[in-house]
Amino acid sequence: MKTLKRWCAVVLLLVSWGINAGAQQPPKQQKEFTPIDQLPPTESMPAAPLLVTAYAFVMIVLFVYVLSVARRLSTVQDELNRLDATIKQTGRP
Amino acid sequence: MPRWFSPAAIACGVLFAASPFVIANAPFESDLGLVQKIFYYHMPSAWMFLIASMVCGVASVRFLATGNYRHDRTALAAGELIVLFGLLTLVTGPLWARRSWGTFWVWDARTTASLVSWMIACAYLILRRYGGPGSEKLAAGLALFGMANVPFIYISVNYWRTIHPPTSVVPTLPFSLGFPLWYCVIAFLLLFVLLLKLRVRVEEQQARVDALYLALDERS
Amino acid sequence: MMRVAWLILRKDLTVEVRSREIAYTTLFFAVSCVLVFAFALVREGRAPEDGAAGILWIAVMFAGNLALGRTFERERQSETLRALLLGPAPRPAVYVGKLLGILALLFGAELVLVPLVALLFQARLLAHPFWLAGILATGTIGFAAVGTLFAAMLIRARSRDVLLPVLLYPVTVPVIIAGVRGTAALLQPELDGGIVRFWLALLVCFDVVFVTLALWTFEPVMTD
Repeated sequence: MKTLKRWCAVVLLLVSWGINAGAQQPPKQQKEFTPIDQLPPTESMPAAPLLVTAYAFVMIVLFVYVLSVARRLSTVQDELNRLDATIKQTGRP
Repeated sequence: MPRWFSPAAIACGVLFAASPFVIANAPFESDLGLVQKIFYYHMPSAWMFLIASMVCGVASVRFLATGNYRHDRTALAAGELIVLFGLLTLVTGPLWARRSWGTFWVWDARTTASLVSWMIACAYLILRRYGGPGSEKLAAGLALFGMANVPFIYISVNYWRTIHPPTSVVPTLPFSLGFPLWYCVIAFLLLFVLLLKLRVRVEEQQARVDALYLALDERS
Repeated sequence: MMRVAWLILRKDLTVEVRSREIAYTTLFFAVSCVLVFAFALVREGRAPEDGAAGILWIAVMFAGNLALGRTFERERQSETLRALLLGPAPRPAVYVGKLLGILALLFGAELVLVPLVALLFQARLLAHPFWLAGILATGTIGFAAVGTLFAAMLIRARSRDVLLPVLLYPVTVPVIIAGVRGTAALLQPELDGGIVRFWLALLVCFDVVFVTLALWTFEPVMTD
């Protein structure tokens, strides 16, 4: 019974926190409402996430590709050096 | 690696690191606003996508004509770069479109043609990876067909009304908007050349390793 | 060269007439395809607009893919293609012979598919038979030209069954677009001859360019 009461309290807390968070949405929307002569700042709000995502995506993809090519090159180079050493040890082919 | 590689790589890194500042200093475009700044990465990516397609196509033709594997290695490296820069173009474009056109994707001429060309490049890489031995010549044939297909793809999808900006936008850019664009184009072009050289180098070394294994096998 | 191509075509047709394996399987597959589309798309007895054109071409392309795979699988199993290439026959003639065989198969399938699609999707496909025949013919030639080359190329490759559609469909996108839009234009209540002629001209150009390219590429690609 005590455990059940504890769980109910936790659930109630979570639900009330959720409602609170949800209730805070409308004031945020009101902040976005700006008069016409301030149009550029308003416009920058919804566009910024798209801009940041685009640039972040480009940087991350390029970085990952460069890293993968560099890793492939070092693997192949290591194998080449190993084979060179093996040939030198056992005499010229 | 050739002597120019390291200085060029450092220069490229510096250009890319400084690019956000150059782009941030550019003025806003009057109609499109902040989101238009995606243009400075989207446009050079698209141009590198096209350049890589041409390099791959020409290298494939030379490989089919001469049988020299040097051209095959260039074609493979360029094929990977088509997929890379195509991916960048096809992701940054819709992100810009979401704000400007209200939707992520439209079936207009240039987007559809780019998507189809990108898929042909992906098919090229799939063939190279899973086709087994002897797939180099087959892939070169595919690249040749893909390259020859570009005007047909473009004309056929042009049936639908296009809402892409016309190509006259770039030459008529004022200096304040044009400078960041050409800065990014130079950065991307340098990156393209470096990546191509790096990737070709991987294939060259791999070819040497394969030859050495063959020599060792023959000896034993 | 045409004599060799004709001989190869006759050989393929003779083998096919005796077993009828590829013809039956391809035809049945194409009909099943159309039926699946009918069950998926026809609602309350009414088909979506323009649906008939797209469905017809999708069925032709799927059936073509199957036919190409099976034709060259047969060649691979008996190593007959290698024998053909080792012989004194000019390589382009081998390509043309195989292409004509595939075309015969696909035209036969279309003869069945067109009335079936017209019936199931209530589309007036047979209203302008000559225009339709022109678009179907040129589109099928374009698809088969690229498909024959790719299928021949992939004979010795691994994963050839899955690689053929992976390679073929992106490259034949202009054929799909032109074929479907041209056929859809024929289904309009008032025929706009200009649009149909445009798509037909595009298909003819595609055919000329890609048959020429395939003839040039066949030899270097098929030799080791």
